[in-house]
Amino acid sequence: MSSDDESPAEISGPTVPRMILGNRLRRFREGAAISPDRAGWEIRASRSKISRMENGRVGFKERDVTDLLDLYGITDSETRQSLTSLARQANAPGWWTRYGDIMTDWFEEYLGLETAASVIRTFELQFVNGLFQTEAYARAVTLLGNGSAPAEDIDRRVSLRLKRQDLLGGPNPPQVWTVVDEGALRRPVGGRAVMRSQLEQLIEVAALRHVTIQVVPFSRGGHAAAGGSFTVLRFSDPDVPDVVYIEQLTSALYLDKREDVDHYLEVMNHLSTEALPPAQTARFLAEIIKEM
Amino acid sequence: MTQEHSPTQGDTAGTGIDTTVPHSARIWNYWLGGKDNYAVDREAGDQYLEIFPGIKVVARSSRGFLTRAVRYLAGEAGIRQFLDIGTGLPTADNTHEVAQRVAPDSKIVYVDNDPLVLAHARALLTSLPAGVCEYLDADIRNPEAILDVAAGLLDFTRPVALMLMGIMGHFTDEEAYPIVDRLVAGLPSGGYFALYDGANTNDAFNQAQEGYNNSGAVPYHLRSPEQFTRFFRGLEMVEPGVVPVPLWRPDPDAEPVEIYSYCGVGRKP
Repeated sequence: MSSDDESPAEISGPTVPRMILGNRLRRFREGAAISPDRAGWEIRASRSKISRMENGRVGFKERDVTDLLDLYGITDSETRQSLTSLARQANAPGWWTRYGDIMTDWFEEYLGLETAASVIRTFELQFVNGLFQTEAYARAVTLLGNGSAPAEDIDRRVSLRLKRQDLLGGPNPPQVWTVVDEGALRRPVGGRAVMRSQLEQLIEVAALRHVTIQVVPFSRGGHAAAGGSFTVLRFSDPDVPDVVYIEQLTSALYLDKREDVDHYLEVMNHLSTEALPPAQTARFLAEIIKEM
Repeated sequence: MTQEHSPTQGDTAGTGIDTTVPHSARIWNYWLGGKDNYAVDREAGDQYLEIFPGIKVVARSSRGFLTRAVRYLAGEAGIRQFLDIGTGLPTADNTHEVAQRVAPDSKIVYVDNDPLVLAHARALLTSLPAGVCEYLDADIRNPEAILDVAAGLLDFTRPVALMLMGIMGHFTDEEAYPIVDRLVAGLPSGGYFALYDGANTNDAFNQAQEGYNNSGAVPYHLRSPEQFTRFFRGLEMVEPGVVPVPLWRPDPDAEPVEIYSYCGVGRKP
C-alpha cells in the first residue's frame, strides 16, 4: 500500500533518532557533571525542556545540539557530526503527520514509537489489536468511541488505522507478539458477520512469520483479569529503553522508567506463559467462528 | 508433540516465572546487553561483575563461538538439522538465524524447560519459510525423552548437530557425563556435537561463581580443560580441538583476548 514517494526517513520517522540523541546528550551532560538547569540556560530554555529533549519527546534544533556539546566539552568531530545528523533525522516528519487533524498528540506519539519498534508486545483485553483489524471491525470500534463525529471524520480515522497496517507488509516489519483475552475474540463488535471475518483475518495474520498471537482462554489467566490492555515497545538500539504504552479514554500513558517497565514486562511474561502456545491459536479461533 | 504447561514450582502464579531469585538466562541476557531481565537479575549480575568484570566479555565471546560453530556446521560440514538444548532468551544471532543465513532450509529443534524461555522462543525464534523451527519443552536430565521426541521432528537417518551451549555447567560431572554420553549415543553417524562452558582457570571467575552459586540461583560449575575434553569421548575433534572460545576458528579480524570459557566441536564417526 505504501506509495513510492516515501523516503526511508519518512517511513521510519523521527522517534528513534530522538530517543538515541536524547540518551547520548544525557550521558554527556551527566559525564560533565552539569545540571539540567545550567544546560537549559545555555540554550535559553527551561530545565523541563532539557528533560523532554533527553527523553526523546521533542524535535531538536541543530544549534541547540551544538551549543550543548560545546558546554559538555565534546570536541571530537566525528561524535559531533553523528549527533547533528541525528538531530536532522529527529526533525523529519513521519507519515502520520498528514492525519494531524483527527489525531491527538499522544496517539501521534504512539505511531512514531510503533513505526520505530523492533518488537511490539501487546495484551488485548477488549478489542482485536489495531494492526490486525478488518475495515469493518475498525469502523465498528471507531463508531463506539466517536459516534457523533461527522462521517468523513470516521472515514479518516478508519483509513488511518488501516494505513498503520502497512507496517506488517513493509520490508523490515517489527515482530508483533500479541496476547489476547478470549473475551475480545467472542464479543461480536460490529455484529456476528463482521466478527467472523475479523476472526478469519486473525487466523491469516497469525500465520505470518513476524506475527505471534496467543489466546488466554477463560479457563486460565488470573493475570488477564488483573489489569487492562497495554503495549510494550522494544527498539533494536541497545541504548533505547522499552516503552510501555497504556491507552486511556482521553489520554495515554507512556512509561519508560526501568521499575515501571520491569513491572509491565513481568505481567506480560506471565500472560505469555499462561496463554495457549501460538501453535494452538488457529484451532481456537476456528472453534469460536463455528460457535458464532 | 510438546508437553505444554507442565507443573511448576516456586512461583505462586503457576507460570514458572519467579522474579524473586536471580535467573541464569535473564542474568546472561543482562551481561549480553539485552533488555529481558529484572532488578533481581541485574543486582546479581552486578555483584558478579564487581568480582569478575571479565564476565561480559566471556558472555559475548561465548555467543561468538556459537555463531562461528553453527556457521561451520551449516557451511563446511553441510549440516541441516540442529538440536539446540538450553536455548536461553533470544539475543542477536540465534542458532536458526545463523544456520538459515548459510542454508535457509535448516531445521532447528530448540529445547528448554524454562517457561519464559519457551514463550520467547515460540514467538521470536521463528523460521524462514524454507526451513523449520520446533520448540520442545523438556528437561535435559531426561535425555531419552528428548531423543524420542526429536526423532519425530528430525530425520535421524541424516546427520544432526547437538548443541549444548553454556548449559552443562548446571550439572556436576556425575550428572553431566552420562547425559552427554546418552545424547551423543543417540546421534546418527556423521553427526556433530558442539559445547562451550565456563572454565575454572581464573581465580576471580572462580570466586565470582562461588558467590553466585550461594545466591539462590541454580548453581553453575566451572570445569578444568581436562574435564571439558572428557565430554567429547569417542568423537573426532574438529580442529583446533578443545580450546578457549576466542581460539576456535576465529574470524580473521578478531582481536586476541584471554577468555576463561572453553569449547569444542566433535564429529561422530
